[in-house]
Amino acid sequence: MTALSPRTVEKGPVPNSLTTGQLPRFAELYIFGASAVVSGVLLMLIGFDLIGWLVLSAVVYLVLLGILSSLVENRRKAVDRLVRGLVTVAFLLAIIPLISTLFTVVSKGIGALSFQFITQSGGSAFNPDTLEVTNTPGALQAIVGTLIITGIATLISVPIGLFTSIYLVEYGRPGQWLSRTVTFLVDVMTGIPSIVAGLFAFSLFTIILGPKAFSGFSASVALSVLMIPTVVRACEEMLRLVPHDLREASYALGVSKFATIVRIVLPTAIAGIVTGIMLAIARVIGETAPIFMAASFTDNFNSNPFEGPMQTLPVMAYTGFAFPGTDIAASNNSAWGAALLLVILVVILNLIARVVAKVFAPKGSR
Amino acid sequence: MKFKNVATAGAILVASAIALSGCSSSTPEATATATPTAAAVDYSSLSGTITAGGSSAQANAQAAWTTAFTAQAKGVTINYDKSQGSGGGVTNWTAGSYDFAGSDSPLTADQQTAATKCGPNGAINLPIYLDGVAIVYNLAGVDKLNLSAETLAKIFSLSITTWNDPAIAAENPTAKLPATAITTVTRSDGSGTTKTFTNFLSQTAKDVWTYPADSAWPIAGTSAQKGTSGIVQAVGAGDGTIGYADHSAIGDLKAAAVSVKGKDFVSFSPEAVTSAFDAAATTADTGIKGDLAQKVDFTAISGTEAYPIPLVSYGILCTTFADAKQKELTTAYLGWIGSDVGQKVAAKNAGAAQIPEKLLTEIAASLALVK
Amino acid sequence: MSDRTSVESVSSTQPRQNTTSDSTTPLGGGEPSPAASPKRSSRVRPADAIFRGLSTGSAIFIMVILAGVALFLIVQGMPAIVANWQTSPELNDGFTSAFDSFWTYVGPLLFGTLWSAAIALVIGAPIGIGIALFISHYAPRRLAGLLGYVVDLLAAVPSVVFGLWGIIVIRPFLLPLSDWLNTYLGWIPIFGGQVTTTGSTILAGAVVLAVMILPIITSISREIFLQTPRLHEEAALALGATRWEMVRLAVFPYAKSGIVSATLLGLGRALGETMAIAMIISPAVIVSFFVITEGQNSQTIAANIALNFPIASTLQRQALIGTGLLLFVVSLAVNMIARYIVTRGSSKSSSKKKSRQKPLVVPTGDATSTLTRDLVADKNAAAGPEGASA
Repeated sequence: MTALSPRTVEKGPVPNSLTTGQLPRFAELYIFGASAVVSGVLLMLIGFDLIGWLVLSAVVYLVLLGILSSLVENRRKAVDRLVRGLVTVAFLLAIIPLISTLFTVVSKGIGALSFQFITQSGGSAFNPDTLEVTNTPGALQAIVGTLIITGIATLISVPIGLFTSIYLVEYGRPGQWLSRTVTFLVDVMTGIPSIVAGLFAFSLFTIILGPKAFSGFSASVALSVLMIPTVVRACEEMLRLVPHDLREASYALGVSKFATIVRIVLPTAIAGIVTGIMLAIARVIGETAPIFMAASFTDNFNSNPFEGPMQTLPVMAYTGFAFPGTDIAASNNSAWGAALLLVILVVILNLIARVVAKVFAPKGSR
Repeated sequence: MKFKNVATAGAILVASAIALSGCSSSTPEATATATPTAAAVDYSSLSGTITAGGSSAQANAQAAWTTAFTAQAKGVTINYDKSQGSGGGVTNWTAGSYDFAGSDSPLTADQQTAATKCGPNGAINLPIYLDGVAIVYNLAGVDKLNLSAETLAKIFSLSITTWNDPAIAAENPTAKLPATAITTVTRSDGSGTTKTFTNFLSQTAKDVWTYPADSAWPIAGTSAQKGTSGIVQAVGAGDGTIGYADHSAIGDLKAAAVSVKGKDFVSFSPEAVTSAFDAAATTADTGIKGDLAQKVDFTAISGTEAYPIPLVSYGILCTTFADAKQKELTTAYLGWIGSDVGQKVAAKNAGAAQIPEKLLTEIAASLALVK
Repeated sequence: MSDRTSVESVSSTQPRQNTTSDSTTPLGGGEPSPAASPKRSSRVRPADAIFRGLSTGSAIFIMVILAGVALFLIVQGMPAIVANWQTSPELNDGFTSAFDSFWTYVGPLLFGTLWSAAIALVIGAPIGIGIALFISHYAPRRLAGLLGYVVDLLAAVPSVVFGLWGIIVIRPFLLPLSDWLNTYLGWIPIFGGQVTTTGSTILAGAVVLAVMILPIITSISREIFLQTPRLHEEAALALGATRWEMVRLAVFPYAKSGIVSATLLGLGRALGETMAIAMIISPAVIVSFFVITEGQNSQTIAANIALNFPIASTLQRQALIGTGLLLFVVSLAVNMIARYIVTRGSSKSSSKKKSRQKPLVVPTGDATSTLTRDLVADKNAAAGPEGASA
């Protein structure tokens, strides 16, 4: 390693052939400044527009950089600089909508959040004299519902998904019919529309429990159907990346296959696996359609996953927007609050997952 | 083991399908005795859970009713799923998942036949919720707008495309109409509101509007939005937009005054809707005892006191319940909704109009038939 | 420097060969073996047997679930698929009334699904992979960790919120762009038609879809890029490759199947996305390539189900489930095509690469010029992203 990356670097420019044909050190910054000014001036002529300016600057920058670099340096260098510029620009362009989404959620939702909102379930009171119904916003019923439904779905899908991916990578041989079929089926499963998963789970439970089978658990089953393929795909990909040398070294020491997988393969891939599982959870935690189908809808607090309708945060957000009360602003407000809570919930889950990954990951760099 | 479960499930599925098709229950002849309004009943002894769902038009009223009813009947929990929509409500109710369904249109003959669980006396439609379809618009500089049924039909069939069209100008002599293009906003999802509105157009402007009443918008080329909230959003965000929505959900959008004949333009008010409904609605003859499915003749609406586009929504339930306890709960709840107090709660908290008193008495009579 | 770092091993596209995760281990510790299983002794340990049983059991269980779903779809969808759409009173009412058969109904929907997903993928996939590359190989280490986290977060935003964000942010944002495209590029068929006034176009929907699939594509690609054996990268750099050439030679071939997997997962989400599309696009059940019109946006299957399910009668429900069955088939086909491309592409390119080693035959004159401080600085940065995800 040290042989490959010499740490001793000459200070300052060395006047020899190695530095010939080099753009100056901060050339990229200069060029960017210049292109910003040029496109700014250009746009002044036809009408200024912030987004147009940014986009035009980026384009001018890339073109200038490419031309200059290929003139002063060589073509390969130019391509390299161009790609670096492109990747950076793509990144900056993409980060705008991402930030914008998060900003929208946070800025609109922060107003609804309060200690009360989180710790009490939404309720309403009736005044028999004035016949007036007053609503108090609250999200506890939805937070509890989300945790229970997603939690059970995770408990179902992660073992199944992880074991399946272990099967595909460690046990199944590429040509074998079972592993081929399973890979194929997992591909198919990614295409199940979420509403169909909800219908499927609900129908399954009506067959077992009778027509009033609305429950948090049947929603969990629906979410599992959606979650399993994501878990399998992500875990499979990560397990495949574990170098064979590691496995072979382990086998060579006489370690059993079981121990090799549990002690060597899984810890090596744990960061990726955790990312994959978090992605899968994130994918289903925001679902609404299957929850409506399988767990119906309620405004009441219910913490029993095996009986009665349950509410979740995305359902609360959706109903708040789609079926606002007479006070539209208040409904939307608590809907945004629910959306923000959901994001916060995922942040917390992510943090926990990362800690878990760190604890189990092998020490040292990957 | 799980495989076994699925296999059993499959077997039960087949078995239950057979059982369903061959199912019939014997019920004694119904003897009707109308009870007075349910307001005086003491609900505190009731306990249990009512599971229902359907029409989203009723959503706000149902929320208010639920709160008000459970304030008196402390032991009762009511779950009304407004996300299902009328069709979903009826489907789930037919399957037995719901105790009653909320629906913007009464059961069709086929649906009535499919509701085998209800026994030989079938299911009844009770009109429990009344509102109006508002014509919402957003046009800079125009705060008051009059539109006749015929002009509405022309606008929504896309044959009038600008706001300063002579047909609109003739009905709004004082308004300063700009040359802005009209963007018609309609529902992209199936809806009882669409059905009421297209029914209104097909009855009152036959020559212009040649499409039948339908829950799905029949013409392509409009801006189609999801749900009442989608329409309200799109109309509010654009200029020169016009759309239709349940009046109770339009927020602070401007609504046009409407007329069937081209004179006497009436703005929405709950009273105007009630009086229009009183004039236009007659109970349809479905051959089912106690069924109160309404037939609305929009052309019968006239005068300055009646808003021409009333929207009625039903509670649908079986005349024979398998479970006596659920029957008691459901009829108590629907009976309370159909009482004067129940209607007032909806009017106060959901902006609904009240069902005419004559019909309320009939609802109580019909509920008394339920076993 | 290990003289076993042959040119072949660097340019090899077989990710499973001669890779070491820990760079302190010498390269090429063992002969690459394509199959996972080593020669096992005849003695089978009970833990092994149980573990193997569990794994196989899970795999079989997935087959059972899927069989269940497929059976459910077929049983539920068939009545509407075989029904006579011209005579059935139920189907002649409401949203199915304008269609003569299931196939004329589902055809435009199918087109709309593929069309919107394709636009989303064209916008989203390159950007997603670009972000992943930026995070793994270009961004400073600290920044990379943070950025990775922000992108992951986005996967958690519920689609309802994306729908709303699309309505309040993207629709107004794209309005002037749509006008501009229509005025100046209207001669290109997809930008033609009556330009929108409210912004609820398939373009707006696809942009939001693209943003929605970004986190999926980015997270997985990033993990895979980070797993590229450092020795491959360093070998490429040591031979005088520029950063981009290193990425092209060492990272991409290694990550190719993973990138395709990530893109497919993203595509899966794009094909099945319901609520955001339903809220943003003003749909019509027609085949239309226009992307910036109001009334001529092709509807997608999933959004169509969500929009019409609540009002559907029993047979119409079955028709909608039938369209769901087709969506199922479509994602299957897309996946199979992609898998075919991956396997064919990798076998072809690996055989080609072995015969032709051009990419790494660096002109001698250039080699010196690239070995400058700039390169060394790059290399130090390259060591940065390690563990950035941890």
